[in-house]
Amino acid sequence: MTQIIGESIPRVDAVDKVTGAAKFADDMQFGPGLLYGRLVRSPHAHALVKKIDARDALALPGVKAIATGADTPGYIGLYLQDRHIFATDRVRYIGDPVAGVVATSEEIAEQAVKLVEVEYEILPAVTDPLDAIKPDAPLLHPDLGKYTVANFIFPKPGTNISNHFKVRKGDAEKGFAQCDVIVEGEFRVPQIQHVPIEPHIAVAQAEQSGKITLWASSQSPFAQRNLIAKALDMSQGDLRVIAPYIGGGFGSKAGVSMEACAVVMAMKVQGRPVKLRLTREEEFFTTFVRQGLVARTKIGAKKEGKLVAMKTEYYWDAGAYTEYGVNMTRAGGYSSTGPYEIPNVHADSYCCYTNHPVGGPMRGFGMPEIHWGIEQLMDQLAEKLEMDPRAFRLKNCLKTDSDVVTGWKMHPIKLDECIEKAAAAIDWGKKESASAPHKKRGKGLAIMWKAPAMPPNAGSSSYVRLNEDATITVGLGGQEIGQGTHTVMAQMAAAALGVPVSWIRIATPVDTLYSPYEWQTVASRLTWSMGNAVVAAAKHARQQILELVAEHWNEKVQDLDIKDGNVISYKSEQSLPLHDMVVYGLPKEGDCGWRGGPIVGRGNFMPTYVTGLDPETGQGPRAVVHYTVGCQAVDLEVDTETGQIEILRVAAAFDVGKAINPDQVRAQMEGGVVQGASSAIFEKLDLREGKPRNASFVDYRIATSVDMPHKIIPIIVEEPQDDGPWGARGIGEHAMVPTAPAIANAVYNAVGIRLPSMPLSAERVFLAMQEK
Amino acid sequence: MLPTPGLPSFDYIQPASPADVTKMLLKHDGDARLFMGGTDVFVRMRDGFITPKFLIDVKRLPGMTAIKFTKRAGLTIGAGASMNAIARHPAVVEHYPILAQAIDSVASYQLRTRATMGGNLCNASPAADTAPAAIVLGANLVLYGRRGERVVPAEKFFLAPGKTALKPGEFLLRIEISPLPKGAVGKYMKLGRNAHGDLAIVGVAVLGYPDKRAKSGYAFRIALASVAPTPIRSPQAESVLMSSPITPEVIARAATAAMETAQPISDVRSSAEYRRAMVKTLTRRALEAVVDLMHGT
Repeated sequence: MTQIIGESIPRVDAVDKVTGAAKFADDMQFGPGLLYGRLVRSPHAHALVKKIDARDALALPGVKAIATGADTPGYIGLYLQDRHIFATDRVRYIGDPVAGVVATSEEIAEQAVKLVEVEYEILPAVTDPLDAIKPDAPLLHPDLGKYTVANFIFPKPGTNISNHFKVRKGDAEKGFAQCDVIVEGEFRVPQIQHVPIEPHIAVAQAEQSGKITLWASSQSPFAQRNLIAKALDMSQGDLRVIAPYIGGGFGSKAGVSMEACAVVMAMKVQGRPVKLRLTREEEFFTTFVRQGLVARTKIGAKKEGKLVAMKTEYYWDAGAYTEYGVNMTRAGGYSSTGPYEIPNVHADSYCCYTNHPVGGPMRGFGMPEIHWGIEQLMDQLAEKLEMDPRAFRLKNCLKTDSDVVTGWKMHPIKLDECIEKAAAAIDWGKKESASAPHKKRGKGLAIMWKAPAMPPNAGSSSYVRLNEDATITVGLGGQEIGQGTHTVMAQMAAAALGVPVSWIRIATPVDTLYSPYEWQTVASRLTWSMGNAVVAAAKHARQQILELVAEHWNEKVQDLDIKDGNVISYKSEQSLPLHDMVVYGLPKEGDCGWRGGPIVGRGNFMPTYVTGLDPETGQGPRAVVHYTVGCQAVDLEVDTETGQIEILRVAAAFDVGKAINPDQVRAQMEGGVVQGASSAIFEKLDLREGKPRNASFVDYRIATSVDMPHKIIPIIVEEPQDDGPWGARGIGEHAMVPTAPAIANAVYNAVGIRLPSMPLSAERVFLAMQEK
Repeated sequence: MLPTPGLPSFDYIQPASPADVTKMLLKHDGDARLFMGGTDVFVRMRDGFITPKFLIDVKRLPGMTAIKFTKRAGLTIGAGASMNAIARHPAVVEHYPILAQAIDSVASYQLRTRATMGGNLCNASPAADTAPAAIVLGANLVLYGRRGERVVPAEKFFLAPGKTALKPGEFLLRIEISPLPKGAVGKYMKLGRNAHGDLAIVGVAVLGYPDKRAKSGYAFRIALASVAPTPIRSPQAESVLMSSPITPEVIARAATAAMETAQPISDVRSSAEYRRAMVKTLTRRALEAVVDLMHGT
């Protein structure tokens, strides 16, 4: 049998996507009864809603209904229920949904939107996290103390801080006193957008029976079912979420955003589907953005180069609602040191409400933001110590059994190997000349770590169902968002069962009515968590088959195996193909009945070992399931006459435990590098007084193919994860984390400037060079 | 506040003759807009910036999409010719490569199959890439109106952002570019925020040719995009290059003079400070490229 695990088989969704057969939410046909929705949005960053008058809008021919906060006064949210589906008494960002108009066409709905009169009383807006924490700052959520919250999130009622994560490890003050060299800095990271090719879209239909169906471009059909059902006080069993193919998510389609609006609007027009789709411009600031960060960090080391102490404050510009964002700030807290062993740490991670777009999950979940400052400071420290940045990191980076900031011992990892390989791939240490007299060349590197940021008990489940011809239908609830997870699941199911991978059929689309539960497609957790569930289901099916055949042959299960789709006996050397028997069973001898029956395996996985942390010290036995670590090394040129950065080479080395599909692992590294470079050089949602100035592709530039690094060198390092399938860990997000600081370090190496904030646009680089 | 899905309703008119176009424009004064590729009109309608009740499609008028070249008369480009058709035309590639460079810097290939140079000029964006190229090529714009045809040089066509020399009822029929002086070479350089597809932060067009009357032996035309309310020429920079032999030092002085001609604003795309500096960099680079080409020929 050909090897399946570790083989770069083609993607199972490739043909459908390339031929256009793949159906996305907006492709689905709902017939002539389909209605359309548009949202009335707040034009103010912060205001009280005094009155909504929808009479004129309702009188417009074609308008069927208008939903407002009065229809759903309750709260919704993942970790902290601080958000209304439609605003009730207050709006907190420009774009906050106030009402939803349902009409026979999008154009009529949009006309009606303009006829909805909303009376606002404008309040002072908070647009900087450092203003948000001032004692006299306007309070965005006076009811913060009353909100339902997860037990690992710590809001500060009466302030704009919705989560405060603390680390008190060792004694930072004493630590700094022992340091020979100390560096410190303030770093800022702006809000950026995920810009998936497919904007958000949801279609909802409510029946008189109380049952509701939601079709959505979604990373999280089960989380959406759960959160929306809870907010509407309905049974999860009566809400069905169907999630067809999705045109990119990067976190923006996790949790719940506009989907809940579509459901509430559909409830006003029972029996008819309502389609709500965002324009590209809305996409930029009305669902999730990556939240901003102000980091104030100080790091000290002994003169021989060993890290001793770190003090850091992370002020997250988390936006108007932090129902999801609170956990980014928690992740920023428990990972606050970056992948370093530092004995004395004093860290505070504050989730600050601001009148900005809602901060939500985005590829890397808090990590690209904190590593931006950490990794530049580490270079500054190395420079002061007159140490090579690579050698400095090799000396201080986490290794197997190192002390982790939360008091855990690091599980087996090979970060040092990642550093050595990435650096070597760009000829680290070799001075190379620039391609033209007006260009300067530089090299830089950065390292990273990231754990899946999720509740301690985020679960996965799967079924494996055998068909007559022994093809296998694998049920799962994780979404194929372009990362290739369904291909990897097919490989795992085939390998665990003992059949060719071409026999596997993934049961799509994910449909909460039929598909097994999956928490969310986030956190780079599917290969590991859903993989474990799929393997368990496949093994369960396999066990049933082996027991059936063992009985049939009168042999022992342990002497049997399934190879290449046949049950074989190592003892009697008999062989029996799987087809037919996996549905119809096998006849008993002498035509006196049958044994067996249709084979269905089931499996689940949930980490059971993650513990709470002490709220005062951030210390505890095990903060997370595991960390994926890696290093990127960048070789670039800066045009000294324009400030333009041209990336020649990026080497990305990550310890993925085990690459189930190496080509897909490499593709994730390449994609992460490109998105990371794009954020480092081009991207910023330009907010002034809460108002986005560049909410379109005209003025929000992202890297295109011609802006990409000339060469990306992905390097796979494998130190197995003890509870990962075949040792695998996730790699979906990680390559985005160190890209920006590695570029910043290379720019410093090239032209001697450091910008404390992203992006390193040509203009900002040029002007900084002029000032120097 | 936000662009909305779909387009507002409008009437589509396809007149049979230039006279009909003028009649329609005058009849629906203020409510009618000319429609060529639609790459600008539709976007601005969707964004709510303009709300024309009538779109007058002039692409199908006789000769509107034609591109013609003779050695004696030079190049004639119908106002409705697509950018890609112009940039790939053998005569443009051979005799007016600077125009192809300017066109190829606009948006994307897909968009340029619809976009027209005529539309690009008539929108009168200060950032229009084809405008500085048209100016240094000495293009003449043939307009049609109540009194028939009249000709306006490209350099005099732009009055203010979005405002041109077109009078009520007038529209652009074609762009005429005479044969260039012997030995003329040009270069268009553009800086955007990323490598391709952006609007110009700065655009610089330079045309140079041997000229015995000039002290330097060469004459130059320099035009700038995106650094003033309209595309502009920089006579100061041009005169620097006329009066002394072309050396790196003189090129640098001319680039500084071009920078001083610019009156940029700060906006979401760039600060005025950066724009000014980039006028200098790009002018110098374009001049160097043109001088290299002239010496090469």
